[in-house]
Amino acid sequence: MVSYFLFKKDIHSEIRSRYAVNSLAMFIIVTISVIMFSIGAEEISDYLTGGLYWVVVFFTGMSGLSRAFVSEEERGTSLTLQLVAKPSTILSGKLLFNLVLTFCMNVVITILYSILFSSFVLKSLSIFLFAFFLGTIGIAISSTIIAAIISKAGSKGTLYPVLSFPILLPLILILINLTKSSMDGVSFNEAFVEIAFLFSYDVVMTAASFLLFDFIWKD
Amino acid sequence: MPIKSFSKLWSSIWKYFLFILMSFVIFAGISFPIVDVPKNWYEFPNIPGLGENAKIIFFHVSTAWISVIAFLMSTIFSIKFLRKKDLDDDVKAVTSAELGLVFCILATVTGAVWAKFAWGEFWSWDPRQSSIFALLLIYGALFALRSAIENDEKRAQLSSVYSIIAFVTVPFFVFIMPRIMKGLHPGSADDSTSGPVVNFKMNSNMYLIFMLTLVAFTLLYIWLWQLGVKSGKLKNKVLL
Amino acid sequence: MDGLYHFFENNSIYVVLTISLIVWFGIFFYLKKLDKRLEKLNNSIKEVSNE
Repeated sequence: MVSYFLFKKDIHSEIRSRYAVNSLAMFIIVTISVIMFSIGAEEISDYLTGGLYWVVVFFTGMSGLSRAFVSEEERGTSLTLQLVAKPSTILSGKLLFNLVLTFCMNVVITILYSILFSSFVLKSLSIFLFAFFLGTIGIAISSTIIAAIISKAGSKGTLYPVLSFPILLPLILILINLTKSSMDGVSFNEAFVEIAFLFSYDVVMTAASFLLFDFIWKD
Repeated sequence: MPIKSFSKLWSSIWKYFLFILMSFVIFAGISFPIVDVPKNWYEFPNIPGLGENAKIIFFHVSTAWISVIAFLMSTIFSIKFLRKKDLDDDVKAVTSAELGLVFCILATVTGAVWAKFAWGEFWSWDPRQSSIFALLLIYGALFALRSAIENDEKRAQLSSVYSIIAFVTVPFFVFIMPRIMKGLHPGSADDSTSGPVVNFKMNSNMYLIFMLTLVAFTLLYIWLWQLGVKSGKLKNKVLL
Repeated sequence: MDGLYHFFENNSIYVVLTISLIVWFGIFFYLKKLDKRLEKLNNSIKEVSNE
């Protein structure tokens, strides 16, 4: 329950300052606008649209998800947090917060994307929904653990995408592949191997995060 | 005293053995001819689809294999460090990671050269090429992380954690992804077999030379690792 | 010498072999030198710390 209260504290401070929400929203709008400007009047293939979708998701995540831990370091409240709860509780609370944030940002991106890009047509919706949910969870988990690592390091802003991209790469590659499959209208059974992989990535990353967080958090 | 001088003698012996082994393997790998029907012990069979290119198997696969072993050792030493907080384990882990990165670069470059002759382009974003590129990024990021932290223990702690997380993705990149996705590299989903190494397309003497190459490269890795650990420990002692 | 040059021109694989062996010999002797130097350094640091 303590992790739920940690989560509520983060949500409340978020609602008060609206810092992360604003920066994420602006980032999404700016990225999608840049893509639309650079495409101009041309038609782009649906595979390209699918790939670009995950590019937008990834970079939006990179701009907003490190705040969970970096803000604690910056405000000087991380020592208090160490006294208040066990490391695994803290990780659960922060993970919940990042999950909610990633989910909201992905929903917004999907809606904006389907309105603005006419070639973003998904024939087998079930594959895309699985990819969406499992992908959101995977991005949230990996981003959270990497955010914890860089919050203790030096040049946090630039280091965060550098560390996160290779760890997220297997996820992104499979997600792009699944988006392609869902645009092609592939049946669920054929895509099953990749969806099973997404699930196992989520499980493995969660397990690794909880096992290793103690070592990152304690001084 | 006799134990110390024996261990010095032994360390020289295996290094000279490595010298002879590697020289033989280089000679055999490069100059043994490839014929359709090998009749002598010094002839290699012609594997369909590869031809003369097959000789690169010895060196390209060996460097890739050593790179994986090095990353595995780095993870093992990282786990050891997290348990005992001995900075020597951190030195061992970093040296392993550095060597892993070097051999990974070698594997990428030898692979690109092979790609030019077999597929026409140095780089075609084939799944195995993409996955080795991802490995380079992952372990490059490890060194970026290390350079961003001042404090010794904190640096060792955080880079151990990252190295363990990074290694979780390695089996996927090296063994799973290139085999399930469609691509040009032997052993991908397009290939009807699992490639010449796993499927024993090589005959017995070619296989022997290949195994000897692996042994030679492993010994070389061990030697380089020992040198790196010695110099790392000295550096720590002197800087403290 | 002319015959040797023509031989290498037609069987260039042996040029590759010679160069590879030269590279390997160079690496090996450099590593040996490094090993000796590190041993000496290690021993001198041990003596200094034992004094």
